[in-house]
Amino acid sequence: MTPPIIQAIMTVGTSLPRIDALSKVTGEAHYPGDLVMPGMAHAKVLFARRPHARVISIDASAARAMPGVLAVFTGADLPVNEYGLVLFDAPVMVAPAASAATETSFDGVVRHEGEKIALIVAETEKIAARARDLITVIYEDMPVIASIHDAVKPDAMQIHPHYAGNLMHEYRIRRGDIDAGFAGADVIIEDTYFTGAQEHAYLQPEAGLAYVDEAGRITVQVAGQWVHEDQEQIAHALGLPKDQVRVIYPSIGGAFGGREDMSVQIVLALAAWKLNRPVKIIWTREESIIGHHKRHPMWAHARLGARRDGTLVAAEVTLIADAGPYAYTTTKVLGNATVMCVGPYVVPNVAINSRAVVTNNIPSGAFRGFGAPQALFVAETQMNKLAAALGVDAVALRLKNLLRDGSITVNNTPIPPGCTITDVVQKCVAAAAVAVSAPAISGQAGSRFVTGRGFACGHKNIGFSFGAPENCAATVELHGKTTVERAVVYHAGADCGQGAHTVFLQVAAETLGLPIEKITLVASDTATSGSSGSASASRLTFMASHSIVGAARAALDKWREGERPAVAHFVYRPRATTPMDPITGEADPNITYGYVAQSADIVIDRETGQFHVRRLVCADDVGRAVNPQQVVGQIEGGVVQALGWTGLENFAQRNGKVLSQHFSTYLIPSVFDVPDVVDSVLVENPDPHGAMGIRGMAEMPFLVVAPAVVAAIHDATGVWINELPITPERLRAALQK
Amino acid sequence: MQAFEYIPATTVKEAIAILAREGEQARVLSGGTDLIVQLREGRRKVRAVIDIKQIPEVNELSYDPATGLQIGAAVPCYRIYGSPAIAAAYPGLIDAVSLIGGVQIQGRATLGGNLCNSSPAADSIPALIAHQASALVMGENGERRIPIEEFCIAPGRTQLQRGEILLSIHIPPVSPYSGGAYLRFIPRNEMDIAVVGVGAWVALDQSGTTITAARIALGAVAPTPLYVPESGAGLIGKLVSSETVAEAATIAQAAARPITDMRGSAQQRSHLVGVLTRRALHIALKRAGYKSA
Repeated sequence: MTPPIIQAIMTVGTSLPRIDALSKVTGEAHYPGDLVMPGMAHAKVLFARRPHARVISIDASAARAMPGVLAVFTGADLPVNEYGLVLFDAPVMVAPAASAATETSFDGVVRHEGEKIALIVAETEKIAARARDLITVIYEDMPVIASIHDAVKPDAMQIHPHYAGNLMHEYRIRRGDIDAGFAGADVIIEDTYFTGAQEHAYLQPEAGLAYVDEAGRITVQVAGQWVHEDQEQIAHALGLPKDQVRVIYPSIGGAFGGREDMSVQIVLALAAWKLNRPVKIIWTREESIIGHHKRHPMWAHARLGARRDGTLVAAEVTLIADAGPYAYTTTKVLGNATVMCVGPYVVPNVAINSRAVVTNNIPSGAFRGFGAPQALFVAETQMNKLAAALGVDAVALRLKNLLRDGSITVNNTPIPPGCTITDVVQKCVAAAAVAVSAPAISGQAGSRFVTGRGFACGHKNIGFSFGAPENCAATVELHGKTTVERAVVYHAGADCGQGAHTVFLQVAAETLGLPIEKITLVASDTATSGSSGSASASRLTFMASHSIVGAARAALDKWREGERPAVAHFVYRPRATTPMDPITGEADPNITYGYVAQSADIVIDRETGQFHVRRLVCADDVGRAVNPQQVVGQIEGGVVQALGWTGLENFAQRNGKVLSQHFSTYLIPSVFDVPDVVDSVLVENPDPHGAMGIRGMAEMPFLVVAPAVVAAIHDATGVWINELPITPERLRAALQK
Repeated sequence: MQAFEYIPATTVKEAIAILAREGEQARVLSGGTDLIVQLREGRRKVRAVIDIKQIPEVNELSYDPATGLQIGAAVPCYRIYGSPAIAAAYPGLIDAVSLIGGVQIQGRATLGGNLCNSSPAADSIPALIAHQASALVMGENGERRIPIEEFCIAPGRTQLQRGEILLSIHIPPVSPYSGGAYLRFIPRNEMDIAVVGVGAWVALDQSGTTITAARIALGAVAPTPLYVPESGAGLIGKLVSSETVAEAATIAQAAARPITDMRGSAQQRSHLVGVLTRRALHIALKRAGYKSA
């Protein structure tokens, strides 16, 4: 009898310490800004810092003549001067029209403040900065369109040649008979909502090092979310085959969607390629804030109809997203918002119109939740208003209308199996009903403090939507003679700080029956792994666990057949999704969904308009918690980030100029602003689509903090707030009405 | 960051000589929590930075119940709140020094620097004014003493003349039945610049019910920290009551000349002056020994 090659080993479900914990706390871990190479040159970007202008000329002769300056690159140096995640519609660097090697229809015009004009490379960063200030750019300023309402006026100037009427994209959903639906409603809730932009505020501003590697590949070490997508975008702009470009991620200091699009990648690659020297760049915080996209500001008008018994009969929503001038991921974000904007409910009659509108604001793009937080702020506030209007309990109203397995969604197709939101809601309510001791309200007691509780729930897709190709690759190598002595896992997935690489090893260890110390992970390098897809859409643990389990099992099969080392490659492809029909919105848009419910207890200082969350309960169905400590970390982090968006973070732009360019004016929550208590309730109903039952979860804790807080404010004061962020001034003004 | 000459002065005389010679081209460095940021961002251009941390006199912190509190210009915040005797005697000052920046900033930042930086929103200045503090200044021609409420003349500009240096800040001894408080409003709970700040100080008679003296000063509602003598004067001789306090708050609101900026509208600032003046007075009264019925 041969000994079993697999031992039962329990790693999935345990809170193993993060594999990168020690190196990060000791400072040994290298972030892109820490990288050094012999002979390294330094770069600075010249930003346009004006929202809308034609570039007439760029004179860099004085900069080039400066001692220590190696080169000044402009858009004219790029073989293909364009980039974009879903559409190539943005210039890498804006060059005067007719100067680029490959002219694009949109080049020659600065369309937002953070456009790049030139890259200066010098022996030192200081020289590069001085040379940057010697470049003379002649602009012809153009009218600035800074609001979605101005952008869609009939006489508004068209900002981008691809987007007539400043309309970038639109979706339409029609289900049932909307007029008949509202005719049958006993109560109709109607209101207008607005949510603001949000800056990702990751700890590590953009930085990177590019060089030509030993195999002659243009190599960029940078922080991102998908090495193969970065590789593709760099190769496209440089006009090179993909295999001549290599992207590697060292440690990543947070991402949250803000590193999905190109920042320093292409310009660094260009410089290293042309100079054949290592080139490094580090953006300042101020450069980072104008240099990458923001969460989409959204405007919405919504109507929700129900019968007296609480049964929903009709929902109508108009959504308008401010895209800024370029697509980035706008079409996808808008699609998500469209699917999620009536909430996780069965609604027989639905009419949704959504549009992404072009402006001269900083581009909008991916940010944790990807359109769902804005949509659910609308949907859930509408539901809470409906409960108040009907005089029924907000949770009971939801339980009556929630999606369940077999329910038909707004897209007129069944919700994917494993719809557990009813259980999630009940577990959240049960946890919130258990009293905890929160610190006493500080300061003077008295009538100026009022308290309230609010509830909201929501869902969001896990993985790419609307028919986008979705797959994830892994390679597993088993070494040893009679028994597997050690294993190597090759995976491209990005660990942005969420703990993905620890989770990869836990899944591999469990599948291979090997202690985690016997497994080496080779990660986030286009030269060593197939594509993993991005660390986004709450998808990486879900997708990567499938790929690693698949590759590990295949490698074990080869081992049994005698292969030494046994090497297997596996690409996981989930069930296919479909795009929305342009007229009806009919689609099977998503592989599966994540479900969350949140309850907020708040205290409001009526005199100042300041609110504080004393306790937040977050129940999240994670399918199976691979590493419970990391899941709790995601919940606590997501809740705090959502509270920033809800109450503090006021990304101010005036006439296309960013006013909040520093953390002294763009206020993110500090340690004293987090809730006194965050109860993380880990619900574990296995996802039928998940390896080991794993679901994605990373965005869910963000989703419904805002509507829960708004409901708590109503509970405390009787006032509804329809606009985020709920600054003290805005709340006080509402209380005075 | 721009290049500058770093001069570690070891005597007051040396520092004064450099200041007299360089004028606007020199700037005194104590904690550096404002100056270094300004230099790095190019908001201030200087040729010489004079570090005064090695000068013994400006590092002195002394408290004597008979003569009061003397704070050398280079004494960081943490030393002030780290002294139990000072913390017990001047809780209203402690309110201010313990909320400037964060813990790390308080390890470096000084009251002298906060005063000489002359920001309209400086947290320590309204508290110092309320406590009737004065600044001891020395130049080539000797010393002079300036009441804190007269020290700042514009944003970033003070009474200091060419060749003058701030040596110390003095707060009078604590009288019985007196108390101070400083409150500020920021949208989050730490590490921000005041939208409004209010310093209040009161003295009561021996019965603890009648106000004998009061001082109110405001931050972030005028080009300089604003002393509002009429607000305190209106309280003198009055029995403590919510109405009395509310009247003083209304007077303070009338004196404020706020502007609208990213941190808040003029209207919100004016409202907050009323709220915080009331609250600061109530805290000061409590610290003075007033026991509400």
